[in-house]
Formats: sequence, C-alpha cells, structure tokens
Amino acid sequence: MAKPTVELLQGTLDVLILKTLSWRPMHGYGVTRWIQQTTDDVLKIEEGSMYPALYRMENRGLVKAEWGITENNRRAKYYRLTAAGRKRLAAEEETWSVFSAAVGKVLHAAAL
Amino acid sequence: MTEESPRWRRYLRFWRDDAVADVDEELRFHIESRVADLVALGMSPEHARREAVERFGNVDNIAQTLHVLSEEREHAMQRSEWMHSLAQDLRYAVRQLLKSPALALIAIVTIALGIGANSAIFSVVDAVLLRPLPYAHSDRLMYLSERWPGGRNGSVSIGNFAEWRARSRSFEAISASSGETVNLTGTGEPVRLFGARVTASFFRTGYMRPELGRYFLDEEDQPGAPHVVVLSHPLWTTRFAADPAIAGRGIELNGERYTVIGVTPKEYSLTPEDEQLWIPAAFTPAQLNEHDEHSLGVFGLLKPGVTPAAAQRELSAIEKDLHDRYPRTGTPTEAGVESLRGILVADYRTQLLVLVGAVGFVLLIACGNVANLLLARSASRQKEIAIRSALGAGRARIVRQLLTESLVLAVTGGAAGLVIAHFGIRFLVTMSPPGVPRLGEARLSGVVLAFTIVVTIGCGIVFGLVPALRAARADLQGTLKEGGKGSAMGSSRDRLRSVLVVAEVAVALVLLVGAGLLVRSAMLLQAVKPGFDPSGVLSFRVALPKERYGTPELARKGFDRILEQVTALPGARSAAVTSTAPFGGGGQNGLLVEGRAFDEKNIILGVLRMTTPRYFETMDVPVLRGRIFSDRDIAGNPKVMIINETLAKMAWPGGDPIGKRIACCEGGPNSEPSWKEVVGVVGDVRAWGLGGDIRPEFYLPIPQAPAASWNWINRAMTVVVRTAGDPASLIKPAQRAVWSVDPTLPLYQVGTLTEAMERTTASTRFNMMLLTMLGATGLVLAAVGIYGVIAYFVSQRTHEIGIRMALGASATSVQGMVVRQGALLAVTGVVIGLIASLALMRALATLLFGVTPRDPVTLLGVGALLAAVAIAASYVPARRATKVDPLSALRSG
Repeated sequence: MAKPTVELLQGTLDVLILKTLSWRPMHGYGVTRWIQQTTDDVLKIEEGSMYPALYRMENRGLVKAEWGITENNRRAKYYRLTAAGRKRLAAEEETWSVFSAAVGKVLHAAAL
Repeated sequence: MTEESPRWRRYLRFWRDDAVADVDEELRFHIESRVADLVALGMSPEHARREAVERFGNVDNIAQTLHVLSEEREHAMQRSEWMHSLAQDLRYAVRQLLKSPALALIAIVTIALGIGANSAIFSVVDAVLLRPLPYAHSDRLMYLSERWPGGRNGSVSIGNFAEWRARSRSFEAISASSGETVNLTGTGEPVRLFGARVTASFFRTGYMRPELGRYFLDEEDQPGAPHVVVLSHPLWTTRFAADPAIAGRGIELNGERYTVIGVTPKEYSLTPEDEQLWIPAAFTPAQLNEHDEHSLGVFGLLKPGVTPAAAQRELSAIEKDLHDRYPRTGTPTEAGVESLRGILVADYRTQLLVLVGAVGFVLLIACGNVANLLLARSASRQKEIAIRSALGAGRARIVRQLLTESLVLAVTGGAAGLVIAHFGIRFLVTMSPPGVPRLGEARLSGVVLAFTIVVTIGCGIVFGLVPALRAARADLQGTLKEGGKGSAMGSSRDRLRSVLVVAEVAVALVLLVGAGLLVRSAMLLQAVKPGFDPSGVLSFRVALPKERYGTPELARKGFDRILEQVTALPGARSAAVTSTAPFGGGGQNGLLVEGRAFDEKNIILGVLRMTTPRYFETMDVPVLRGRIFSDRDIAGNPKVMIINETLAKMAWPGGDPIGKRIACCEGGPNSEPSWKEVVGVVGDVRAWGLGGDIRPEFYLPIPQAPAASWNWINRAMTVVVRTAGDPASLIKPAQRAVWSVDPTLPLYQVGTLTEAMERTTASTRFNMMLLTMLGATGLVLAAVGIYGVIAYFVSQRTHEIGIRMALGASATSVQGMVVRQGALLAVTGVVIGLIASLALMRALATLLFGVTPRDPVTLLGVGALLAAVAIAASYVPARRATKVDPLSALRSG
C-alpha cells in the first residue's frame, strides 16, 4: 500500500522539532515518533537526520539537552526549548504562514 | 528527575571522553526504543532490528557528525566559561581597586611614568638605531673607506675608487660622492646650497623611487655632458613650490644653466649632511688617475650572499696592488667596508643605549614601588583571601585573581604611559641636539606599541606575581584565628619588602651617579674658556662662484670689497675675513719646522686659517708675542705666519718662535720648501668645541695665501663682525652690504658665535638634562618607597612601640629606632649602588668631560644625597610613631 509521502523542505525539520519540543521536553526518539504520528507518516524523514539537527540547535542555544530517565526507567537525553528557541519558533511560524498563504493564493487562484 | 543510572557508567566517564559516550548512548537508545516498538507491533526481533537501523540511516556517519558537533560545543563552552571568569575577575579587580582609589592612583601614575619614559626613549631608539634605512636592500648597503693607520675611516681618492669599481666583484654597484656647495641664483634671493657631486651609480647603490622624473644616466656622468641636476624633496618644496612640472626646467647654479631631471623622495640622504641637490661627478681622465687626493665618500651595494668581510678582503687586495703600482711615502691605507647604517648611528649609539639603561632603571624602581604597595595591600587583605580559600577557591584561582588586579593596574598605567610617551617624544625631538639622524621619524609606531604592550604585561607580572604568590600561601588557620590582624607571615614579608626597597635605592643611586657625572661634565664644560670672546660677534659665510672669481686676485679683491662695506656698517666695531671661524671646522696642512729633517715623523699637522689683519682684534684673541699681520704682509714681501701657543710649544719647546721659520702649504717633496717666518704667537682657541681638543693652528695673511688654497676652500670665506649691541640686529645690514658688492652672492651659516659655541655643548647638556630628569624621578620614587616601607613597619609595630613607651622609652629613642631602620635600608642600598656604579659608569666614559666615570666627588656626593633623602623619608613615619598612645596600642594588641 503506497501512501503519498513528501520530501522535507530544507530547514523545515528544524521548525518541526522546535514546534514538537514546544509542548514539552522530549528525547530524540520521542520527537521522531511525535512528528511521524502527527503527520500520519506523510513526511519522509530519515530518523538519524533528527540528531544533527538537534545538536546544531543545541550549539546555537535554541534547545538545551539534559540527561533524564524515561517511564521505562532508562537513561535518555531530553531536549527542551530555550527562550531563544521559543522566539525562533514564533518567527518561523510567522514566516511559514505568510509563505503558505502566498503559495496557496497562487495555487488556488481562479483563472481570469 | 534524579540520577539513577548504573554506577559503573559514572566511572566510565572518568576514562572515556564524555561527548563520545553520550552520543553513542543516545543513538543506542533511539534504535533500541524503535526495536521495542516494532516488536510490540508483532515483528520478530531480528526483523525489527534490521528495520530500525534502516529507518535510522547511516549510523556511523551520523555518529561521526554528532561527535564533531558536540566537540565544537565543548570548546565553545570552555571559551565562554573562560571569558566569563575573566570578566568576573576583571569586575572584581576593578571593584577592589576602586575600594582604595588613592593607592590605585599612585600605582597607576608610577607605572605611567615608568612606561611612558620607556616608550618615548624606545621610539627614538627605534627611529635612530633599529629601523632599517629607507633604501632598497638597505641591509646590503655599505660605506667604503680607506683606513689610515690607527683605524680611522678616511675618504677615498678618485683613482682608487675607479680601480675598485672596475676590479671588484663583490658589489652590484659602487658609487662615489663628494660634498659641493653652489650658489642658486635667478629664483628669488640668491642662496647657498649644499649638495654633492655623485657618480651616476649613486642612486643605484641607495635606491628609492624618485618623487619625480628620473636619476642620472651613465652618459650624463661624463666630462662635457650637458649640465643636469637632481633636487632634494625639501629644496623642491621650499624653493620651487613643489612644481610638478619641474623636470626639464632649467635653473641657474653658480651662474650656469642646469636642467632639472628629477626629485628625490622625502627622506633621501645617504650622508649625514642632508644634501639639497646632486650633480653628476663627471670625473676627467686626469682625476681618474689621481691616487693621492682623498676626497670621496664611497658607497657599495653588496651582491646578495657576499659578506662585508669578504668584500673587505677583496678590496684590500686591490688596495695593496694599488700601493705597489702608485707608491707614495707613508703607511699604506687599507680598505674598510662597514654597514652604512652602522656608520650613520655610531655617534649616537652609546648615548641612546645609556638612555635606554636609565629609563629601564626608572621602570625597575617604579615596579619595585608598585610591588611594595601591593604587598602592603595584600597584607591587609589577608583575611579576605583566607575566607575565599576557606570557601574553596584554589590557590591558582587566588593567584589569578591577584594577578588580574595587578594587570589591570599595569594596563591602565600603560595606557596613560602612551599619552606621556606621545608628549615625551615631541619633547625629545624638539630638545635634542642637532644632527641626530632620522630623529624626526620617531613616533608611536606599531613597533613602539608592541614594545609598550610587552613592557606593560611584563611589569604587571613582575610587580604582581610575588605579592600574589605570597598572599596565596597565607596560613589560613592562623589568619582566621588572629582575626585578620595580618601578622601571620609578617617576618618573611617584611624581609621581601626590605629587599625591594634596598634594590630601589641601589638602582636610584646608579641613576643619580650617572646624572651627577653628566652635571659635573656640563658644569666643567661651561667653565671652559674658549680663548676668545664670542659674545657680540656675528659670523656668516660668503662663497664666490668660480665662474666670475676664478683667479686668486679676483677672489681676494672680492672679499676686500665685502670687508670694506661690512666694516663701514654702523654698529660694527671691527670686522675681519677668515677662511674658517672657530666651531666652523677647518682644513689641516703638514708643517715642517726649519732645521728638522724632511721626514714623516717630523711633520706637524696644523689647522690653517687665512685671515685679514684685524681678525685677532675682532675675535679678541690675545697676542702673546710678536705682532699681528699688517698691510705690508702682501704677495711679494717676505712670507709670514702667526701660530698658536700649542703649535709654538710643539715646534720650539722652551724656545722663542719669533723670527724662526716653518715650511708649509706649497711645494712638494721634490721642490724647494716654502718658508714662512713666525711673526707672532697668539692664545689657544677652543675652535673644535668647548669639549674638543686644542690643535696646533697657524694663521696666514690672505694676500700671501697659496694660490691653490682658494680651491681648497672653494673661494668661500667667513666674515666676522664684532658689534656694540645685539649681533643679530646686524644680519640684514650685513646682507645689504654684501649685495652692494655683488647682488648674486648668498650669505649662509649666518649666526652669532655664542650660538655656535652653545651648539658644541648641546649634546652634553641634552644628556645631562635627560639623565637629571630621570635621576630625579628615580630619587622621588625611591623616597616614596622608603617612606611606604617604614610607615608600614611602624603600623605593624604599634603594639611593640606602645609597650616601649609604656615602659618609659622617650619619644626621641622611639624616633631613633624607626629612623635607624630606614637608614639601615638606605645605607645598604647606597653601598650596593656604589659598587654597581663603579662597574656600570664606564659605559658613560665617552659622554663625560673632565671627570672620570669613578669621580669620587660625584659618587660620595650622590651617595650622601640619597642617604639623606632616605632618612628624611623615614623621619615622617618615625614622628608618627612617637604619637602612639600607649594605652590604646596595648588595648588593641
């Protein structure tokens, strides 16, 4: 059974991660699963690519990582949004809605 | 969330890199979680693992990337942590310093003085001694000379220069230059210019891109070639308004037309004499065969890889061959090859190095003082430091904190020092004696800034490290128990403070001895009698161009008419013409006393002055025996001369020279000597400067001067006028008087003889002034140092003093005890300083006049002065000690 999937736009992964983490701190696997479930697996993400994105954002101070314990009593690294990350997310959301509205207008324009 | 991971993992952290372990663990967690989820969905474990890895992508690649990323983060964190604690240290340091602003200010001013003086002197040393000359390949630029016995560098004969140029293989180019003065006419007032006749290769040995036009071509450096001239930048700007179209223009030199072909850039001057223009040498075949007249300054640009020593060996071999081919009497000369820069700065090297030493000493004293201040402060901060280390600050952390404080002091002081240096340089440049090469280029350059930064940081560490280490070593328990009274390690700290003060006194003494020796030199120099009366005498030179005054007769008549006009000036009491006046140099001639064999060892070298009869009256030179010249001492009558006392004693020791004869100036080894009868003996004149030697000198009447002598002096003579009032007021009238004879004649080297005399001692006075200033600074700093230490001792011993006074000690005995302590330090410092001076003052020998470097009067006088100042400095705290109230002192103890 072939569900249609889309390639992720460059830089979009960061926004998705930030948005996901805005609910609550999560470990990397949790973020992966959340995105997959929320999008019904429409987005084709190589799971490993999540981590370089997380690390880069950590280096830029958008997220902060801390070791913690899962419900199953396992050690895992949890990521949480920093104030800078929150600000960034807001800015990205704004850009995205302007962008998608613009694209939508073009695509749905009635022929003259 | 509490840390409950397996214990072993924590140990693992000690052995493995944190970051790598973290990455591996995180990725493993991801894959294992995925596997667990897939198994829960009913997949077999092996299948689930394959699926999980596939979904994840290239694990190794990603792990690699993450390692790099987390490493970057690690570094960034370390950096920011470091910056953060530095900022913390800095904030803390500034707060601490602001708590005792007086102390901080004293320390900063002290450092600023020390560093400012050092940077100013260094900028001069850099400009004069260190910076390479501005020419291309200036490291290969050599000055070539013929060395006379005794090692003196002499000028080179044209013939020998030509042979060197043709035969040597060591040089890319060899060039020659000889000084030449010309009259520039036709553009404004006539002016006398100093320039040089140079070979076409001159501008290739010392090359700088011309400001304008070009330099000489080989074919322009030939006899009979059209006249061309290269102008210096200053001449071009002052005399020709920096005319950009000057190349190709004609100008009039000595009444002849020369075409300007180029202008040199600003700093161009291969010789110390700042030539204003250059003309091709254009040696004639006869000149090129002349091996006996030594007149050229010769420059050579070494080929790359050839050493000066190798070039010297080659030239000396050629020189030896030349002596064999053109034999002459006397010891043969050798060839000398030395770096041009070395020659140019040779005279100033000692002077500048002495200054560097002196400012270095001032800085040492300044550092000593600041170290003492900081020691005193760290003593009072012992409690704070003890608490900090009790709270867990490591020793390194405390040393770092204290060092940060001293570096903050040093950097602030260094910045203020740069301001001082800026004005110091201007002061040095304006006050310095004339003729120091490239002094005008001294400024706060990048090199000077770098020097200042290094010195500043060095200072901060020097005066900060010892107090910091001491403080960090403080005995925690003791200090806390004592309630911070601060005597826990008093004795070793006291010893250190004493050592610092003794060292300061010793260094200050060395400085002051140097200053004292120079002050004595300047005083002795000032007391020297010049042998004539320079006050009220105006002197100026006039040169008659060869083109219109070619014969001795014409030249003599020209000067006769000038003298007539000048003598007639109102205000002129007496006037004379002389080939050179005192302090104006002069040529030497070999003299043979009648009755002695014609042999080199019997030749006396005497300085020749050709004068008119009233010269001795005008200059107020005393006539000791015989008569002065008269109107009858003219060509055709018996030839006469007047000699100075020194020559009289050399020629006829103990005898009467009047009526005896000396041969000189004309004829040669093969012709009849030209005898001249001594008709008078006059007093010695310090013609070579007040500090210079007195040489044998003789005077000839101008009408009897040898015909050739007009060429020796280029028909240039000095006119001296004694005036009733201010000699400077006669300058304009004298100019008009000369122009009434010939309006194309420029006057040059115009000035009073008093000024000329002062110029001869300028360098000694300059050295004296600078060293006295530095010595005084050192003295004040050392006195402050002693005051500080004694005051500290008194404050530490308040308790003891209280007991003594309670037991009946008189104020005088307490005072005596404290002053004795100061005196002991001072005397120890003075003794060490005296011993050091005995060793060090030899460096000053060439700068002194009339005193030896070990002059006992100076040594003892300065020692006594310093000891007195030191005792006075400890008297102030001693008086305070007597004010101690025994009761309160005992109670507080």
